[in-house]
Amino acid sequence: MKSLLATLTLTTALTLPCLAAARPVTLTTSLNNYGGDGAYLALYVTDASGDYVGSLWMAGGKSKYYKHLSDWNRATRGDATQVNGITGASVGAGRTLEITLDLADALFDAGFTLHIDAAVEDMRDSPNEVSVPLTTEGAGMPMKGRRYVASFAYDM
Amino acid sequence: MNKTLTAIALIALLPAGAVLADDDDCSVPRNQWQPRDTALQVAQDNGWIVRDFEIDDGCYEIEGRDSNGREIEVKLDPATLQIVEMDYEDDDERGGANNPAPAGTVAPPQNGLFGNGALPQVQVN
Repeated sequence: MKSLLATLTLTTALTLPCLAAARPVTLTTSLNNYGGDGAYLALYVTDASGDYVGSLWMAGGKSKYYKHLSDWNRATRGDATQVNGITGASVGAGRTLEITLDLADALFDAGFTLHIDAAVEDMRDSPNEVSVPLTTEGAGMPMKGRRYVASFAYDM
Repeated sequence: MNKTLTAIALIALLPAGAVLADDDDCSVPRNQWQPRDTALQVAQDNGWIVRDFEIDDGCYEIEGRDSNGREIEVKLDPATLQIVEMDYEDDDERGGANNPAPAGTVAPPQNGLFGNGALPQVQVN
């Protein structure tokens, strides 16, 4: 009985931190009415030294256009497998993309930065359209993009 | 074979500026651009049927069909009229393009950013 209790205590202690180590985070990206085709957007994270860590979302399914997301493309060497399972449709002008992801707690307040590269056919590419430090304090605070993104915010 | 050799030769001749350009595929001052008709002559010489001719990313861009009837999109350097990029539009259907798996079909990548592999929830408003 004692050993059962001990096992139970141990497994519970090991499980709880795992469950608490991630939380749902909603990323909301609203686009301007720029008057063009749907925008390709790459949302990805770099660490404190600016190195690419991984991708959070890719709006736009055709990898042949990814080279126009030039910072993302350089960081990943155009590796489309980076966005397997996190790829959706491109986003129309004036529309709002809302993605809810289960993100690791360790991403926040640890020097990580979320970036968005944007590209629209026949219009100018816009790498690093948005660049925002991931902090618990910054959650829910909208910020402007450079060219196509009217506002971006992350909420948890 | 000849075509392959020509393509390789053309790529080798690409000006360094075209490769190093930051945002645009071509970066040639306007006063060095060849006339549109000369660019269209290149299309004709290659046996392309031109459906659309425009300027994109600082290059001349031709959409149409090649001599075998395949849909093409070709970018030409506006000064040298060399091919900067040539895409076959049917690559996707042929499985030639390595498109990523859409969300919901596989779990998110294990890149340390995601928690327990829960599938993303997405909506566009």
